Amino acid sequence: MISIVQRAFKVREVPVFLALVLVILITGFANPRFFSISGVQDITLGVAVIAILSVAQSFVIVMRHIDLSVGSTIGFSAFLIGIESSKGAPLWWCLTVGLLLGIGVGVLNGFMVAYLKLPSLVVTLSSLYIVRGVFNEVAGGTTITNTDVPSFISFLGRNYFLGIPYLFLIALVLMIAGGLVMRHLRWARDLYAIGSNPPASALVGIPVARRIFTAFVITGGISGLAGAVLLARFNTAAANSGLGLELNVVAACVVGGVAIAGGVGTPYGAVIGAVLLQAITLALGALGVPQFWQQAVNGILLISAISLDRYLSSRVKPTQIMRVNA
Amino acid sequence: MKESKISNVAAAGSPVLELKDITKSFGGVKALQGASLTLKAGEIHALMGENGAGKSTLLKTLAGVHRADSGEISLLGKTFVQGSTKLAREQGIAVIYQEPSLFPDLSLAENVFVGRQPVKGQRIDWSFMEDEASRLFGELGVALSPSTRARGLSIADQQIVEIAKALSINAKVIVMDEPTAALSSKEVDRLFNVARNLRNQGCAVVFVSHRLDEVYALCDQITVMRDGATVGSGSVHELDEPALIKMMVGREISDLFPKIDVTPGEIVLSVKNLGREGQFKGVTFEVRAGEIIALSGLVGAGRSEVVRAIFGIDKFDEGSVTLNGVTIEAGNSAKAMKSGMALVPEDRRLQGLFMSASIAKNSSITILNRLTRGGLLRKASEVATAAQWGKTLQLKYADIHDSVDRLSGGNQQKVVLAKWLATEPKLLIVDEPTRGIDVGTKSEVHRLLSQEAAKGMAIIMVSSELPEVLGMADRVLVMREGLLVGEYNRGQANPENVISTATGSIKTL
Amino acid sequence: MNRFSFTWDKGVALLLVVVTVVGSFGVPYFGTTDNISFILQDIGEIALIAYAMSYLIIAGEIDLSVASALNLSSATIGVLFKNGVPFGWAVVGGLITGLVCGLINGFLVTVVGLQSLAVTIGTLALYRGLCFALLGNNPVNQMPDSWTSLGYSNIPGTFFPYVSILLVVFGAIFWIVLHYTPFGRRVIAIGINPEAAKFSGIPVARTKLALFAATGLMSGVAGVVYTLRFASASPDGAVGYELAVIAAVLFGGVSIAGGVGTLWGVLASVLVLGVVRSVLQLSNFSANALLIVSGALLLISVVFPRASELIRAGKKAKSSN
Repeated sequence: MISIVQRAFKVREVPVFLALVLVILITGFANPRFFSISGVQDITLGVAVIAILSVAQSFVIVMRHIDLSVGSTIGFSAFLIGIESSKGAPLWWCLTVGLLLGIGVGVLNGFMVAYLKLPSLVVTLSSLYIVRGVFNEVAGGTTITNTDVPSFISFLGRNYFLGIPYLFLIALVLMIAGGLVMRHLRWARDLYAIGSNPPASALVGIPVARRIFTAFVITGGISGLAGAVLLARFNTAAANSGLGLELNVVAACVVGGVAIAGGVGTPYGAVIGAVLLQAITLALGALGVPQFWQQAVNGILLISAISLDRYLSSRVKPTQIMRVNA
Repeated sequence: MKESKISNVAAAGSPVLELKDITKSFGGVKALQGASLTLKAGEIHALMGENGAGKSTLLKTLAGVHRADSGEISLLGKTFVQGSTKLAREQGIAVIYQEPSLFPDLSLAENVFVGRQPVKGQRIDWSFMEDEASRLFGELGVALSPSTRARGLSIADQQIVEIAKALSINAKVIVMDEPTAALSSKEVDRLFNVARNLRNQGCAVVFVSHRLDEVYALCDQITVMRDGATVGSGSVHELDEPALIKMMVGREISDLFPKIDVTPGEIVLSVKNLGREGQFKGVTFEVRAGEIIALSGLVGAGRSEVVRAIFGIDKFDEGSVTLNGVTIEAGNSAKAMKSGMALVPEDRRLQGLFMSASIAKNSSITILNRLTRGGLLRKASEVATAAQWGKTLQLKYADIHDSVDRLSGGNQQKVVLAKWLATEPKLLIVDEPTRGIDVGTKSEVHRLLSQEAAKGMAIIMVSSELPEVLGMADRVLVMREGLLVGEYNRGQANPENVISTATGSIKTL
Repeated sequence: MNRFSFTWDKGVALLLVVVTVVGSFGVPYFGTTDNISFILQDIGEIALIAYAMSYLIIAGEIDLSVASALNLSSATIGVLFKNGVPFGWAVVGGLITGLVCGLINGFLVTVVGLQSLAVTIGTLALYRGLCFALLGNNPVNQMPDSWTSLGYSNIPGTFFPYVSILLVVFGAIFWIVLHYTPFGRRVIAIGINPEAAKFSGIPVARTKLALFAATGLMSGVAGVVYTLRFASASPDGAVGYELAVIAAVLFGGVSIAGGVGTLWGVLASVLVLGVVRSVLQLSNFSANALLIVSGALLLISVVFPRASELIRAGKKAKSSN
């Protein structure tokens, strides 16, 4: 029995999941409304966007890289989708525009990181600002209002399937798809190898540059397509859409076991991490913490997540030399 | 079910790999000028030579890292395609490096099959992969679990995984580059058995090593290189040790261990009951001025850990360290240095040097405060000091501002020594001072250590090379599994009792 | 050492001359003394933080929270002053806030052992969040003129703003320490190989802690300058400044990999940034264009050296393979 528990804990996602259960239980006792159906729906609805972006980000973080431009991309995409729709374009075209934007950003990021071998921190930090800057120029002061939002997207944003918000269902589907890919496809396993030991992965014949490029394109593409989800969630878009989301995405991944050092973690963990952070945020609200502290709390959560991750991974002790039973 | 049959590589005794008259230059430097090597199936072939002889370049050419300028390489009669590590692997060349590079977060099975996991349709066949890995480990006589992560695996086990990888790609030639440097003698025996198994199945194994005793114990054939060319080749029975050394060095080395007799002075270092959780315990010894103490034992006995704790790189949990009566604070290398200690570390590339920085800057990093006037560095003093030490140590270099990664291993070690001797330490600790260094430079380093001891320096020498230990030390301390288990004076110590104490076959102290 | 960074520094200095000349001739009002004064004020905070950030990046670390720390200092000054503390002491409070921000970062990186990239993304949010917690939505706008005039006027008799004094003094100190003292040499050593630095008796953790503290302190100094310049403390001030600082440092030839860089390259780079900003503003580009330009400069600062490296490596490979 004990060994089953021990083996369960070796799975990175288990401690996070337990933490989630714990948070929900504790908050529920302090504020019983938390336990209601609408309480759960609040969590799942609120986390949908971050969850989707976290699944995408896990592809990149596992390789020991990072994509900080996702917030700018998703915001810009949401805006463009709204603009195209307000001009009367059909849904498939609007979505394509968002997707192409995301892929475009992903291609640029991917090219610079994979082929020019530039550090992803610097590259995606500059894309974050360049994309946001272009977005600001294009958007000016315009706001997408709910009349501009395609009706299908509005529908998804407001409705539930068997009690679960559609947006969260989308996130779950993506999570499962991502999880299966990361586990069972060869090229995805290469991403883990690249993050685990970058120089060795080139030596064993992995086409490193191609993999890195593909991962960034995927992340960008998903972020672009997810603009529709962002639009659905808030029914509006403006020049500040998506601002700061990358922070929450990185936090969700780290909390969920997708270590910054690369080589470990799954999309399942990323989503659990996102849900946990969302639960904590709502819990603090339910416990009466004022809104102004929100950003500060986000910062503390990220720092705590990283500290925990560091603690867990540093369980590798210095080389044991002495015999345990002299 | 795939089988990793090597026995159909070639009939034993027939040539598997032939390198003829390989030349290779980098810029104006001729790394290889007429290197040749003939490997037969079912043979363990030693490749020997001093540092700078060209072994590494030859191996890299074989591994596909470089393309030769001229000469032929043929594998099983066919022209070998050069210049690509991927193609080299596909053609059947596998190289096991001294420090293998596995993927710590992937399982052992995945490490063996990385990049080419077996698939069922599109999906990876995990169970087949793990079964195959188990089978390969079994064939090598090693009990490793294929599903554990590679993180934390000992170097010896990592090498086994690499060999399993080589088997799974049907390697025809397996090259082992200085594989025993970080292995305990039990692990060396295991590795040698694996190598013999590979040989008996018809594989060609290349064994690169500086250790003469190992070469004679394991290998069938020896090829010697010097100055980029092959100077001779013969069977282990034909070539005896003096002949071998002469081929490698081109001259006779009569005095490998020039030890000067010194009367020890006052106690310089006093270590009492030193312990660090899980690593060593109850270590007590003293070193006097002018003494050379060898800290010997099997690799992994805890010697480097002890000296790192003395110098303050790591913190010790119990006990005390006193230098000339002054208690040394645990875990503070800056203070240890100021008190008069110096440590020449085990890994000169990673721990001893700043590879991209110049010789001058590397030599001065420990004595910066001394090279200032009014708080500001005087670059002229820095260069002059470096040049001075270069002369004392007979350092071979082009320009004092060249980066140290242009120097040979032996000269790099001299730079590390220079930087520490410049601090005028009272206690010098050297950890494997001549590992990976050619015979000529080795004796220079030994002469240097003897001279410093004669001038009153206390020296602790951690070494796994028995001849060095016996030749240089006034006293030999032996460690085993974290404990200090034996001490022998210069007259008493001999190979038998030191090794027996190190391996535990005699109960002592 | 790395010969390319030597050329890069000179390149940036050359670029500075070029853009200044182009600006003077191409853009009206650019070459006036008023504008020079404006440019210096405009990049004042960025330059001050960049001095310290250079050391951090050379040592292999980074601090993304500097803009939030700057603003937290400013917020501290505002809150203290609003509550009756004499302005001079409020300024001291702001400096201490900056120092504490840096120490927290340093503690998390050197003692707890976290990676500076991730941690300072977290403290970026934390410090900015504290600004909101301190000020709510209400900026502090009433400040004594005797102080704020230092923020916008020039040194009597010259066309240089008061902040120039800080730029020159701190610039000199940081320059000399990095290139001519043992401490600076040790910082560079840590950047090249932290393991070897440890084995060479260099107190790596303590040194890095000092660098984070210095960066925090300089963010505090910048916070004071910022508060005086705008004569107010608001919760959303200096947003995005960290980008400009990092862009300036990297564009100045400091390698993100660590161990390489000179301070005068960074200074030249900050001035280039200021000149380009001025040119854009005078040519009526929106403030947004600035964001794009900073991002682009950041990108160029890493793309260009890498591209030339790859070209040179390609040529070498062709000749020897």
